[in-house]
Amino acid sequence: MATGVDQAVGMSLVVFSLLLFTYYSVWVIVLPFVDSDHVLHKFFLPREYSVILPGIAAVILLLCIGAFTAVVIWKNRKPKKVD
Amino acid sequence: MTKLLQWLFGVSLLGAVWALVSFDLLDLSLPQTYREVAWPMPLYLLVSFGCYSLATVGYRVATFNDCEAAAKELQEQIKEAKEDLRKKGLKV
Repeated sequence: MATGVDQAVGMSLVVFSLLLFTYYSVWVIVLPFVDSDHVLHKFFLPREYSVILPGIAAVILLLCIGAFTAVVIWKNRKPKKVD
Repeated sequence: MTKLLQWLFGVSLLGAVWALVSFDLLDLSLPQTYREVAWPMPLYLLVSFGCYSLATVGYRVATFNDCEAAAKELQEQIKEAKEDLRKKGLKV
């Protein structure tokens, strides 16, 4: 088995993704069938955000990937040799 | 029919069903709640696939089969080899 920090990080990733999946599932699938004056609605943002927030997260992810690629390419550029 | 065509056919079939239900193209007048649930379905599937990938990566990091003794032994051998080569004149 992996040790110490590795195990902690791995398990926290698993727990985080389970929580995210449960919250998002309830938000998208369960809430429309629940009466609008039920107390459950207090825990969830308005439904428009269930589309906007993943969109923003996707944009941020693409920005991070692009920035990482740019940094790596920038660091590896070699000046052309002069004959 | 190639695999690509099969996949494209399946995806477009599912896409057509989704569009019919979300935008009421056949005027079937389904209850509003069903349309409200069906509309974000593609995004929901994408998010759940992302969660599944994250969970799989996290689980496999946590259960990775470390061999600490072997790793230490390997580091020792690398040091020995470097010393040996340095003595023989190679610039390490």
